[in-house]
Amino acid sequence: MKKDTPGMRLSLLGIVVVALFASLFARLWYLQVMVTDEFQVVAQANRVRVVPVGAPRGRILDVTGKVLVDNAISVQVTIDRTVLAKLEEDQRARVLTALAEALSRASKAKTVADIETDLANERYSPYVPVPVARDVPEDLKIWLDERAAELPGVSAVRVAVRQYPYGSLASHVLGYTGQINDTEFESMANSEKPYTLNDEIGKSGLELQYEAYLRGTPGTREIEVDAQNEPIRDIGGEAPIPGDDVVLNLNIDVQAQAEQALKTGLAFAQGRSCAGCKGAVVAQVGSTVVLDARTGGVVAMASYPTYNPADFIDGVSDSEFAYLDDPANFAPQNNYAIQGQYAPGSTLKPFTAAAGLSAGILTPETTINDTGSFDVPGCSGDSCTFRNDNGKAYGTVNLSRSLTVSSDVFYYGLGARFWREQDVLGGPEMFRSLLERWGFYKDTGIDLPYEQSGRIPSPQWLTKFCEEVDCLEDTWRTGDNVNMAVGQGSVLLTPLQIANSYAAIGNGGIVWTPHVVKQILDGVTGEVIETIEPKELSRVDLLPEWRAAIVDGLLGVTTSEGGTASGAFSGFDSAAYPVAAKTGTAQVGTKKAPTAVFGSFAPAGNPQYAMSVLLQEAGYGGTTAAPIARRLYDVLSGAIPLVPAPPGGKLDDLATLAPEPGDVRD
Amino acid sequence: MVAPTNFSSRNQVAPGAAGRLSRNPSAPWRHIDLLLLGCVLAVCVLGCLMVFSSTRGSDPAAFDTAFVAKQVLFIGIGIVLMAVVASVDYRRYREWAPVAYGVVSLLLLLVVSGLGSESKGTQAWFQLGPFQLQPSEPAKIVVIVMLASLLEQFKHELNVQRLVMVLAVPGLPMALIMLQPDLGTALVFVAITMGMLLIGGVQTRHIAALTLLGIAGVAVVLNSGMLQEYQKCRFTSFLETESRVCAERDASYNQDQAEVAIGSGGWLGAGLGQGTQTRLGIVPEQHTDFIFTAVGEELGFAGSGTLLALLGVMAWRIWRSAQLARDPLGTLICVGVLSMFVFQVFENVGMTMGIMPVTGIPLPFMSYGGSSTLTAFIAMGLVMNVHMRRFN
Repeated sequence: MKKDTPGMRLSLLGIVVVALFASLFARLWYLQVMVTDEFQVVAQANRVRVVPVGAPRGRILDVTGKVLVDNAISVQVTIDRTVLAKLEEDQRARVLTALAEALSRASKAKTVADIETDLANERYSPYVPVPVARDVPEDLKIWLDERAAELPGVSAVRVAVRQYPYGSLASHVLGYTGQINDTEFESMANSEKPYTLNDEIGKSGLELQYEAYLRGTPGTREIEVDAQNEPIRDIGGEAPIPGDDVVLNLNIDVQAQAEQALKTGLAFAQGRSCAGCKGAVVAQVGSTVVLDARTGGVVAMASYPTYNPADFIDGVSDSEFAYLDDPANFAPQNNYAIQGQYAPGSTLKPFTAAAGLSAGILTPETTINDTGSFDVPGCSGDSCTFRNDNGKAYGTVNLSRSLTVSSDVFYYGLGARFWREQDVLGGPEMFRSLLERWGFYKDTGIDLPYEQSGRIPSPQWLTKFCEEVDCLEDTWRTGDNVNMAVGQGSVLLTPLQIANSYAAIGNGGIVWTPHVVKQILDGVTGEVIETIEPKELSRVDLLPEWRAAIVDGLLGVTTSEGGTASGAFSGFDSAAYPVAAKTGTAQVGTKKAPTAVFGSFAPAGNPQYAMSVLLQEAGYGGTTAAPIARRLYDVLSGAIPLVPAPPGGKLDDLATLAPEPGDVRD
Repeated sequence: MVAPTNFSSRNQVAPGAAGRLSRNPSAPWRHIDLLLLGCVLAVCVLGCLMVFSSTRGSDPAAFDTAFVAKQVLFIGIGIVLMAVVASVDYRRYREWAPVAYGVVSLLLLLVVSGLGSESKGTQAWFQLGPFQLQPSEPAKIVVIVMLASLLEQFKHELNVQRLVMVLAVPGLPMALIMLQPDLGTALVFVAITMGMLLIGGVQTRHIAALTLLGIAGVAVVLNSGMLQEYQKCRFTSFLETESRVCAERDASYNQDQAEVAIGSGGWLGAGLGQGTQTRLGIVPEQHTDFIFTAVGEELGFAGSGTLLALLGVMAWRIWRSAQLARDPLGTLICVGVLSMFVFQVFENVGMTMGIMPVTGIPLPFMSYGGSSTLTAFIAMGLVMNVHMRRFN
């Protein structure tokens, strides 16, 4: 230590000091200049909590602009958990007890335990008050407002809820909304209009189908919070944007008539004896569809039984939901017009005829001698003979007459030929593919969820079907074609497909994609932002003379002596408003009453409407389904003035369907 | 050992002349270190601004001015104390030091014996009406003067017995402070002692031995039951991001949020009163130990860099006073203050930036607090005292 002097040591100390300050500067430079961006993000996240603000859903309007689904103001009781958390234990208990008592007095009975369950619900953001009771009376709001000081954190707030001015009318079409579930939340993760776990979402019908339009764009509230996450103040956010309005092709006045007629018609069928039916008449389920034959627009679509979408506003209990979904109650939630699949019976005959005409095995002039039964060629035994219903012989019939009187024998022959002459007619699948042109065995593409596609059977289908299910008979035979020709066997159509295909006959072969919605309106300005143009599903090559022969036969059904719906249409001014129609009575199994079916369009020359009626296990189409259609054509033709749909959608229990159709066996 | 030339006397003037504001060009008050004084006052002004910014609350209509008002009062008293301390020749403190040492040791004993007030797990204060007296703060000054006078007496002839005697001076108050327990303040005494021993002429091998002893001591303290769990966690959490024992939010929360505050400041900061980490109380203890984060967030690199520069200039001036002092006593006093000051700055600013463990050490002239502010002023008074008497 030669140079170990106090001066040296002082210098050493100075160097240490400089080194320490240098390292502070270096660290400061690193934090504030080099990586400052990262810290700014963290600081921002420390400070701001973004809370979503719900936007009102769009409305649903009918074709005339009547509001079918609206937003109403309802009073909700909420608890702010941030306030409640600050209370002493006994004070908190007092608040909850007082609230539970008040709710019970307002007949919204809830225990303290129920409220605690609501408060524990993690679906709600901590900054969003939790609803503990919905749709409470205004009296309770006043009572709670007066006691705001005694019940900290408890508020009665007005919120927008779905409102249905026409009650249960068109409920299957409109659908309902409910709180989003976990599956829906995940599938909506990338939605342009983000969801929170306590948002409502369309669950069925148009509410589901048009969710993307109806849903409003949620706004945000940006809240500045302190270190304890206590809100300090609002520092901005974005205002919510109301959802778009949806305008339908549906006319609520016609819809009311359709639902009234369907309900009355089912009641009428229930009260009728059914001679020759294989089982008792049930007639609890039915549907009717009215389409615009020129565009595919859905003018009315009724399904019975119905439900009230308002029941879903508060969320339904599991037992309520089970009731609405239970087959024992005929599952009122189901829209049988698009979800029900039925053997169409004789209503398929015009399409069998069109297949025969296209294949060249039939002309409008072809006649046969209907002896009342048909023996499958080259087959012997009892099951080789197919008979007209009740074995009636219609004598010499051509195409038109076969439709008017509903001769089965005429079509049995056509079906048999498609199979026996398959080598020259285009193969074993040809009959199926000629029928499918009418929009069968595929979705029509209607803008409603859960549509079923029906079925047109064929040898290929049978092979595939029997691979999945044990079949009694896995070989396609002539008899299968014979059955298929009259809409029996394994043929299934939805009521919508029946109406849609009749519209296609009426308009000369254009099969439309049916559409419930006509336009989308901007939720704020009311401007049309989208118009749904008619869209062709397929086009059938239907020569005018073929169409004429078929329409002639269908007109006879409602007008001529022996027409299967002539009883139901007696007194109807067919000259002014000719209705082309076909009845059907489809056998279902061996112990059930048949399905009553009706397919039609009118006015026959240049049809405006196409309509199907279908009643499950209800008897003969001419006696039970036709009167419903008759009633609707009275209204559509103007013979009976179209009255406005009743507010609340209240249907008349005592309505009758005049006139008595008489006893028709088809 | 040869005495350095700057310890020799020049311009001999009768000591009594200092009292009168005479025209004597060599009067001590004419040699005041104005740069040091300017820096102290500048840092005090910045400190008041930041104390206000971090304690005013979030209600613009009724800002809380209680803290800043008290701090202004402390600074006022501090300036007076500084002047008083500077005006009496520091050589006279030699005689007073043992008395002051006795008083401070007694106070420290009383504080841990139950008369003191407890806050956040340490028992370090006397509650005197609205004010709190923290005896460990003035103890630092007393120990500096005591050590200086002892080391001066031993004149670089420090054998082991004398070294033990010297070490006993900071040893007693340190032991009492460790009982509070206040690890941070105890470490300030370590820094003071090490710095003064270095300049006081302790042999290099003794310094090396003491350093090893100190490291061993820290290890023993950390592993003994003397510290609360949270104190150990605060002390070690800066070393690792995730410790199993220190999993609770408290361990690294302060430091993480402090870094966020400083880091988010960027070049120019959010602006005075605009820092959200500051305004929303996200950084705890921000007006006291974590005041540097408020500067960092609201004034950015420009502000906090300037503050560091001011503190650096102050360190340089104290070091320069040590160099210029006319006798070893003056040098040793300045070195003691320098060690205390630099350690506190480095530890305090370092902990807010995540390079030092979290301990409860205030930033001189910036942090809110009476005892620490007055102590800092007294320390500066001593340095000025030495500086302005460098010629007589």
